[in-house]
Order: sequence, then structure tokens, then C-alpha cells
Amino acid sequence: MNLTVNGVTHEIDSSPLTPLLDVLREELGITGAKAGCHQGGCGACTVLIDGEPRRSCLMPVGYADGGEIMTVEGLGTLDDLSPIQQAFIHHYAAQCGFCTSGMLLAGQAYIDHGGTDDEEAIQNALAGHVCRCTGYSKIIDAVAATARGDSFDLTETAVGKHTTMATGGAE
Amino acid sequence: MKVVGARIPRYDGTAHVTGRTTYVDDVRVPGTLWTKALRSPHHHAAITKLDTSKAEAMEGVHAVITWKDVPLLEYGHLAALGIPADEPLLAKDEVRYLGQPIALVAAENEDLAAEAVSRIEVGFEERPALFDVRQAFDAEAPEIHHEGNWYKHFEEEMDRRQIRKGDIKWAFDNADTIVQGVYRPAAIEHAPIETQVCQVVPEANGRLTIYSCTQALYFSMGVVAAHLQVPLNKLKVVGGTTGGGFGGKVDTATETMCSLLAMKSGRPVKWRWTREEEFLCSSTRAPWHMEIADAVTKDGWILGRKMLTLHDSGAYSRFSPYGLTKHSFHHTGAYTIPNLEFDGYVVYTNRTPTTAMRGFGVTSVSFAVETHMSRIADVLGLDPIEIRLKNANRIGDTSPNGIVYTDPSTVLTIQTMAETTGHELPADYRTMTSEPRSGDLLPEHLVAQLGNPEEH
Repeated sequence: MNLTVNGVTHEIDSSPLTPLLDVLREELGITGAKAGCHQGGCGACTVLIDGEPRRSCLMPVGYADGGEIMTVEGLGTLDDLSPIQQAFIHHYAAQCGFCTSGMLLAGQAYIDHGGTDDEEAIQNALAGHVCRCTGYSKIIDAVAATARGDSFDLTETAVGKHTTMATGGAE
Repeated sequence: MKVVGARIPRYDGTAHVTGRTTYVDDVRVPGTLWTKALRSPHHHAAITKLDTSKAEAMEGVHAVITWKDVPLLEYGHLAALGIPADEPLLAKDEVRYLGQPIALVAAENEDLAAEAVSRIEVGFEERPALFDVRQAFDAEAPEIHHEGNWYKHFEEEMDRRQIRKGDIKWAFDNADTIVQGVYRPAAIEHAPIETQVCQVVPEANGRLTIYSCTQALYFSMGVVAAHLQVPLNKLKVVGGTTGGGFGGKVDTATETMCSLLAMKSGRPVKWRWTREEEFLCSSTRAPWHMEIADAVTKDGWILGRKMLTLHDSGAYSRFSPYGLTKHSFHHTGAYTIPNLEFDGYVVYTNRTPTTAMRGFGVTSVSFAVETHMSRIADVLGLDPIEIRLKNANRIGDTSPNGIVYTDPSTVLTIQTMAETTGHELPADYRTMTSEPRSGDLLPEHLVAQLGNPEEH
């Protein structure tokens, strides 16, 4: 079997019934997809297979044979963050970070399929992704900002430019 | 003011969005063994047999540990505060909750470790189990803990956390009415997306490197060193990256057992709990049982409060005495009640041991107190916001444990809440401040608690 992960093709030794998640993490050492439940229930293991978000913990690697897989590591680099990565940083959409890679990839697929900044549509796209830090509103804001094409200056530490809790909620 | 009001980038934000953050499960150590646990299938039982020989004989199994392998079997999470230990690291004669660990296996892979666990021979004799904290507190309840059904080691070996303030008899003799309520918040599982996980590497220099998802690194370090009976300089604990904890990763759930397996096998060892184990066996927020009786006047003053709290500790005490102590200090909430009689007990049940969760011990009492404030307003036919403002802590008021408030924010908070929600307040409540009480807001019954103004 062959998998192309983030543009690099790998020959796979694991048996075809091994979950894709385990192949990525244990055989290939690509750890961006997380093992939150191994039951398809939390979304932390989500990767894109040929552009579609999939729970890698439930997918036998044999079904992904020959597929193009994208994990969070393929979204952007430290020097060249993708728009959705920038939006997640700007909107504080990652707290503990464990659900973040799944959220990012589901959000990316939503945008790639023409998704807008409509809140309900974003909620539907992210349904089944659990953030136990309960940072959902920030995550939805970040996906909406990406869909709109907002741009951010992440180097800026802007004193006084943003409202605080005391003066009426987050920006 | 460089930080307040400023947009400060998260120091770990870029790592989180690029998949660069290294959680414990992402640590790669060649030659790592995987761990599975034999856990109690019963809520309460005597262990009549434990034979690990068939598991140990399996090819690919490198270490099996039971209570016999633990240098110091019982060590309390709060031992540093002088609170005695009551929980064995691995069950010895009995199990007191479903999922309690009895033995662990380290093997070449997870499936093999699970197979080895299934070959451990273990026998049980079931005992009666209790799941409700109020039921466990009954005099007729079966005894489920070797020291009786509640914790006995508060200061001076008291069996309860007790607060007495003012003259409770005077309060109840002078009340217009008594308002009572019972409040019972249920257990909550923290359910972090990262389950409990640990990786231990035995180093060539004799030290152990422990990669831990703990929220309480130095707590864990002390607990591991105590169980292992080694000095702290033998342990290098790497922490700081937690995939969600919320209090559920304060208890030292995995580090000690993984360390013992690593020492016994001489190999790196990893233990990652399944989602099922996380729900079934990890600690939860405690269920509580709270009974409140308030002596109130018809114009809305609370003269006195009697309160009984039962804190469900689960099968062992862990941090519960500390949680109950915090709870007791907050049992008047953000309000001033000068006459108090509080009795709180840490009660054992056969539930999973309970622990911290976001405001340990205080969220339960806040729920009870706020619900009770609204109940008092209902009974008296008064405005629920006005009754809160009237009794709100002011500068110079004292807490249940005698701390003088110097900068309480209750009045401002409640006024802001009323304004935000469009709740109309009379002028004297709208303009109220936190300044020391005077005039109508300093009735006779509150004068005594103010003591000597020089102290403020």
C-alpha cells in the first residue's frame, strides 16, 4: 500500500485493517492527528483524504490506499502559516490544543467546499468535533474569519486597541 | 499596564495550530513497551486470589506488577499536609470501586498487554456497595471503609469540618421565618480529549525520565518518589503540556505505576488510557449533598445559617478534605451572615474517587447558596436581586472563617448584572457601594461582627 501524506509518498507495512490513525502516528511518526477516543466520537483524529474530512481512527488504512492525505502538518509551516492557522491564533481558538488539528482540517474542508461565514453552517461543518475546553465560539469565529478572507498582523501586540471584559466583552 | 487590555499572543498558539505541540502521546522513544491494567470488575469486593504467573510467562511480556512490587503501597495525595494515606497504589486485599487497578502488564504492544491481562487469575468475594453520599452517611449503612464511612482526620482528629460563628441560637430565636433547602449537584467527568497518558524512560544514569500530562507536576513528583522510596533527584519529570485537564489531571493516576514497570522491565514504558477507562476509572467532580436552614427576617436579612454538607469522596480520601475545607470557608457565598453553624463531612462511597474540578469545593456551595438566595426571596415575596444586594459583602464584613473583607466586589457585580439584564432597581440599591455598612444597612445584628474598626 502507498499513502501520500502532505505531499510525500510512503510505502506502508502495517496490515490493511490497521486504523489510519495508528499508521500515521506509530508507523510514520506523524503525530498531528490525535487519539482522543478511538471510537469516532471526538474528531481529534480528523485528517483530509482527497480533500474530505475523515476520522482516521475508524478508517482501516487499506481504504485510504493510494489516497492523498493531509494532516495538520500539511496546512502550513512555521514561516508560512495558512490563513486558517493565522485565524486560529488571532482568535485564540486553540486552548489546550488537543482538538485543534481536527478543528482546523474540518474548517479547511468547509472553506475549500465554498463555505461562508454563516455561523450555523460552520456549526454543522464542525459538528462532532469536541472541544472540552469549550472554546467553540472562538473556533467558529476563526473559521468565519477565514471564510471572509480577514487578514491579521500576528506580530502585533496591540495595547488598548481591543475592548476588554470590563468594557463589554471580547472584540 | 502592559498586559491588561492588551492583545497578547498565546505563547503556544503557533505550536498548537501547526501540530508542533508535543503531548505525552507524541513523545517517541524507541523500544517502548505498552501497558494495560487489570481493573476491578466490582464496586466493592475482597480479593481472594491473585496469580500473575501465566501472564508473566508469555513471550513479549516484560513486566507484571501487583501491590507486592510497590515499595510504599499507601501514600496520600495530601501527605505533605499531614493527612494520612488510605489508598493503596494497587489493590491488595480488597477493591472499593469499579475500575480500581489491581495489576499492570508491560508488553511489546497494546494487544499483547491486553491478552496478558486476561490471563491473570483473580478471585473476588463481592461486598455490599454504596453509591449515594446521603445513604453512606446513615448510621445503619454498611461499613465500606476501614475507618468507617467518613473521614476522621481534620485538625485535632475531628471527624468533620466545623465552623461556629456568632450566636446561632439567637438568630433562630429572633427569625421571622426559617427557609430550608436541600441541594444535590451530581458527579461530573472532566472528559479531557487527551486521556490519561504517561511515558517513562529508565535512563542509563539510574534516573527515570517521566513524561506526564499532569496538571500538578510537583505534586506528582513527590507522590512518585514516595511510593518508589527514591530521592527526588532520581526523577526527571517533564510536564507542562496537558491536552485538557480541568482538575482531572491533578491526581497522580499513571506516573507511579509506569515508573515501576519501567524499573522492573528496564525498558521505556507507555500507558495511554482508553476513552472507556477515562470515563469509568478516572476521578470525577464529587457529588454533594447540602442541607441549608436559614433564619431570616421578613424584610430580607439573613440572621443565621445552619448547614450540613456531605462531600462524596468516592472510595478514598485523596484531595477531598482540602476541597471540603475550601467549601466550608465559602458557605455563605458572597453574602454576610453573622451567625453560623456549619458541619461538613467527607463521606466514602464505592464511586470512583473524586477530585478537583474548576473551583474545587466552591462551585457546589455557590450553586446551593445562590439557589437558596432566590428561594428566600420567593418565600418572603422580595426581589431576588435586592435581597442579594442587602446581604452582599461590604468592606469590614467578615467571612465564615473570620477573614475581614477589604475589597469585596459583590455589590458592583450584582449591580452590573442587574443593569446588563435590564432588571430595574430602586435608587438606593442602584447607588449602593461596597463602603462599610451604615444606616439602614447596619442593623443591630450586624454591629457585633464588625469588631474593632481599627483592625480594618
